[in-house]
Amino acid sequence: MKNLVIIFLAVFVLASCQSSSSKKGNEKSAGKSKITLTAAGATFPMPYYNMVFKEYAEESGVQLTYGGIGSGGGIRSLTDKVVDFGATDAYLDDAKLAEMPAQVVHIPTVLGAVVIAYNLSGVDNLKLSNELLEKIFMGEITKWNDPLLKSNNPGLNFPNSEITVVHRSDGSGTTNIFSDYMSKISPKWAEKVGTGKSLQWPVGMGAKGNPGVAGTIKQTESSIGYIGSEYAFAQKIQTASVQNSSGNYILPSIASVSAAAKGDIPDDTRIMLTNSSDPDAYPISGFTWIILYKEQNYNGRSKEQALETVKFLDWLESEKAQGEAEKVHYAPLPAAAVKKAKAILRSVTYEGVPLLK
Amino acid sequence: MFSLVEGAIPAFKTFGLKFIFNNQWNPTSGKENYGALPFIAGTIITSLAALIISLPLSFSASLFLGEYYRGTRLAQIIGMMVDLLAGIPSIVYGLWGFYVLRPLLIDLGLPNQGFGIFTASIILAIMIIPYATSLSNEIISMVPNELKEAAYSLGATRFEVIFNVIVPSARSGIIAGYILSFGRALGETMAVTMLIGNTNIVPKSFFSTGNTMASVIANQFGEAEGLKLSSLIAIGLLLFVITGIINAVGKFIIKKME
Amino acid sequence: MNAAQNKISHDNLNLRTAKDRWVKYIVIFLSAITISPIILIIFKLVAKGYRQISFDFIINTPPNTFEAMTAQNNGELIPGGIANGITGTLLMVVMASVLAIPVGVISGVYLYENQGKRLANITRNVSDILQGVPSIVLGLISYLWIVKNITNGFSALAGSVSLSIMMLPMIIRSTEETLKMIPQTIKEAALALGVPYYKVILRVLLPTGVSGLLTGILLGLSRILGETAPLMLTALGSSIINFNITKPTSAVPLLIWEFYNDPNMIDLIWSSSLLLMAMVLFLNIISKQIAAST
Repeated sequence: MKNLVIIFLAVFVLASCQSSSSKKGNEKSAGKSKITLTAAGATFPMPYYNMVFKEYAEESGVQLTYGGIGSGGGIRSLTDKVVDFGATDAYLDDAKLAEMPAQVVHIPTVLGAVVIAYNLSGVDNLKLSNELLEKIFMGEITKWNDPLLKSNNPGLNFPNSEITVVHRSDGSGTTNIFSDYMSKISPKWAEKVGTGKSLQWPVGMGAKGNPGVAGTIKQTESSIGYIGSEYAFAQKIQTASVQNSSGNYILPSIASVSAAAKGDIPDDTRIMLTNSSDPDAYPISGFTWIILYKEQNYNGRSKEQALETVKFLDWLESEKAQGEAEKVHYAPLPAAAVKKAKAILRSVTYEGVPLLK
Repeated sequence: MFSLVEGAIPAFKTFGLKFIFNNQWNPTSGKENYGALPFIAGTIITSLAALIISLPLSFSASLFLGEYYRGTRLAQIIGMMVDLLAGIPSIVYGLWGFYVLRPLLIDLGLPNQGFGIFTASIILAIMIIPYATSLSNEIISMVPNELKEAAYSLGATRFEVIFNVIVPSARSGIIAGYILSFGRALGETMAVTMLIGNTNIVPKSFFSTGNTMASVIANQFGEAEGLKLSSLIAIGLLLFVITGIINAVGKFIIKKME
Repeated sequence: MNAAQNKISHDNLNLRTAKDRWVKYIVIFLSAITISPIILIIFKLVAKGYRQISFDFIINTPPNTFEAMTAQNNGELIPGGIANGITGTLLMVVMASVLAIPVGVISGVYLYENQGKRLANITRNVSDILQGVPSIVLGLISYLWIVKNITNGFSALAGSVSLSIMMLPMIIRSTEETLKMIPQTIKEAALALGVPYYKVILRVLLPTGVSGLLTGILLGLSRILGETAPLMLTALGSSIINFNITKPTSAVPLLIWEFYNDPNMIDLIWSSSLLLMAMVLFLNIISKQIAAST
């Protein structure tokens, strides 16, 4: 028996040695720097980040690790200086910026949409007006065959069942974007519930993470909730179309999300894109950002580490990286946003000297 | 430990001791109001329920393994299966509960789409069975043979030997096993958070949804700051305290029984 | 004894025998219920996960979400595997054991030797309370100590520390309780033979109680093998195999969590769990062998 154990262990060690110098090409870099970049933060853009981070690692030999611990975790990790950069769906407002140990800059990385997903067999192409959204998510409409729902969707057959609202139990940038939109279209919501990463929900039950909400909706007949776009698409959950500020009913798509970013963007790129004025825009869209320190010489960071960080982020803004977004149902940044992001990256310094030209 | 207390102080300063009894949890900025009562209630109810459900099961199992079929192949296999239960990651329990247990309970007519205190308690009970069982099993099988043989030679039946000889001498170990189990239930996070419905209210019935201390910490910790963070840390501290109290009560009861 | 007394004691015997038999049936019945969940769970894991298991699964690192999506759309198996998780888990579990087992066993012995003393009681209480602390809080403590102060970044070391704290209460308690069950006679015999005290502990008590000790260690290991929350805050995860303890590292439960959170890779959770269970089973078998051979 002991021999068996030894043999097994030997095989295992050999196998793992082999895969370190593996065919996946993670180390196929020609003896390049063994720099590791560590980042943590939002889960909203994770499918996109996972894909492009890996691509960059294979291309450049720099090892990248990303931990999806939530926007707040990303902010905290950056505050504690234990990561090279953080990721967040909710930008730091002036008050929070002032609390950070040093000046922090934001660069947007991709556009995403928060979709209204639901599970109601036999009911496709659901159209939800602003009034309907407000009433359903505030618990004033409790049944699917409510007259208001019927009048907004003539031709659809609604069953006489209870609406189960599903929201996030954990703090989330997705919730932030959704509630920001709701506050803009409904004064009642703005007053009673407000905007934020976690809210006191008037109705409904909570599930953890986008997958929790998506899974719950998928498994629960007569339910409705809000989730990041990729989760709805991947799990083939029914999506409702929402009314934008021009009155058009829009379904989330790459085009409609990109349209939401067509307006002006401030130089520091901190702006919420919900309820955009563009007639073709999907109104529940938003940027997601990466945050890092403007002055990169802190905590004994080497110049090389800082350089690799900005080089990577610059690559993230490139056409190549942005082009990948569509594959996973995120929208690439509009040219104006990329321009601002690149400008900001060129203002990041090491000991006062900009790292990139 | 100190960092916990340090972190919790702002919460207590703002809300005072009423924090413990406050049943509101409102994170909207400008109206923040945090109270721990819903979670305390949720934690205690689910853990107690889990302990009660698992008690007869794990006790029987440990008797089965440590006494009735001790040393047999069957016991070995079953013992291993019970140990395996301990190795299942809590996420997997949560997933299994979500995809398998919940539809079963919905079919049985459970409200709230199968989420809630009841479901969470069942999963907790399953999760803590191996801890009490394994330890009790070991302890029971270590009761010296002479004691048992003496009782048998006096004409006692198996059952009598168990309840009059084995259990008393192994009592300390058996109870230790249950304390371990209970502790596990109190602190379990992932599986509970997937099944309990995450509504921050004091549960009104055994079948309503609710939330527990561990679950809310796991959920909200990721992006909490300021007053909210402090409240969450305060809840963590309270969990420590509650665990301590329950342990002390348990030991007191044992002393009384002797 | 006259006939009446005979009858009474005979009835009494019947009653007791009947009770005895009933209890046995109840025990068997309840035990069956106890193990039914494990059978159901394993069944489900195997049913959903067996197709994904292959040698590749153990050797390769996970795919990215796009590769997974295309594979799913084409009806193929998702490529890649969980090698980074397996090595990470092994690394951190071994480190955690090195930290926790000696401390745990020694503490257990200390508690056994000092029954009733104030310090011992306090230690025991602290240990029990530690058992009830949610794993995420332990992860947080580890974050504050190690990630922030010692390694200045997420690391495998921080992960191991949080795991070792989780193992401690189980090892301490089971060591103490096992030692308590050893008949005093054995201990006294050894002492009477003139064996020095520390040797009595090392050579007599511990070996006799090794089965119980191993149970505690095994329970501890099983628990930490499946833990996610603390690792999220300490080891963070990694897409490649990593043996450097000051750098972030993956682990199988972390990967399971990542797969769960990725819309396209959810199907991988079943096979990963299956592998994890295999590891636990393996541990079980080994420890039983060790216990049997002493």
